[in-house]
Amino acid sequence: MNETTTIEAAALRDWLVAYVGAVLDLDVETISTAAPFDSYGFDSVEAVIMAGVLEEEFSIRIDPTMVFDDPSIDGVVAALRTAGLVR
Amino acid sequence: MPAPAPAASIVVISYEMARVLPRTLLSLSPGYQRDCPPGTIEVILVDNGSRIPPRAEDFAALGLDLTVVHWPAGDVSPIAALNHGLSLARAPLVCAWIDGARLASPGLVSASLRAARLHPRPVIASPNYHLGPAHQYISIHQGYGEAEEDRLLASIDWPDQGYRLYDISTPVWKSGETDRMLETNALFLTRQMWDELGGYDARFTSSGGGAGNCDVFIRACEAPGAQLIRLRGEATFHQIHGGTTSNAPNFAIDVAKDISREYYRLRRRPLIGVKDPGWIFDAGPNGRGKL
Repeated sequence: MNETTTIEAAALRDWLVAYVGAVLDLDVETISTAAPFDSYGFDSVEAVIMAGVLEEEFSIRIDPTMVFDDPSIDGVVAALRTAGLVR
Repeated sequence: MPAPAPAASIVVISYEMARVLPRTLLSLSPGYQRDCPPGTIEVILVDNGSRIPPRAEDFAALGLDLTVVHWPAGDVSPIAALNHGLSLARAPLVCAWIDGARLASPGLVSASLRAARLHPRPVIASPNYHLGPAHQYISIHQGYGEAEEDRLLASIDWPDQGYRLYDISTPVWKSGETDRMLETNALFLTRQMWDELGGYDARFTSSGGGAGNCDVFIRACEAPGAQLIRLRGEATFHQIHGGTTSNAPNFAIDVAKDISREYYRLRRRPLIGVKDPGWIFDAGPNGRGKL
């Protein structure tokens, strides 16, 4: 990984909720950040695509397999924190 | 007198496909395609720089109206070659076949032609499959290879039993009737729509064209007055050949991520499949041949 910046955890979480909501046409109020992605129809392909968008949006480089370790919004935030990309 | 224009032009891209291309062209030939007599379609094969490029005479026995174009080597993306092929197409309905490793089901062409009559601005899409027991970027790590693929095709008596391709294949994600469709390997649009779109976006320069095929499909569906028509019962089936995204060993996830990055960089929006379910054209051997 090539760390280039750090992101506020709350800002990242909000971004992820908005992203998933936009992809699935869901009201963001209904999205649980702890729930597995597939519980609301966000599949592994979409998660990898999201990883690419994350890289572009936040100027970071990430291992896309991290979205499979704990496939949830909270899981992604935690993985990026572990990688030193989130504060 | 010039020859009458065919009903459809199919632009096929190849690169180092000596093993798989003969089958692909056979699957587009009059002897295989149902209700598609000689002269119905022209096939424009654009080879994107193979070391030993295919020759039209090698496929003369297929009875195709075939033009072979040799595009200069050196471009990892097929987009420029594909756009050149599209510019040569003579028919009012033009199909982009971005991956010459994909076999057609036996009614794909005639179903597309019939579906095209249903709307003045049709976007005709068929689902993508991978030959074999799983997506090929997975199955190649589980022992699937050329010999097994040859055995599978022989086991269903292909090409005589073309629809049995479904028996030995795996559907690709995001290509089902209710999925948010990302792309199709056999995209039929009117000549006018291709011209309006400007063909494929040449900025998709990454290997295999990156998200260029998804991009043109999405733009076509979003074009004013366009009508997505998904074929049911007809499809394309990917043969193993070491292609960039379909077979990439160990790199499928990274490739998908990089495709996403490229798309977002160029379009400033995420790569999301087309949500409009469109119309379903009921084709296939048991289809009703209508919506």
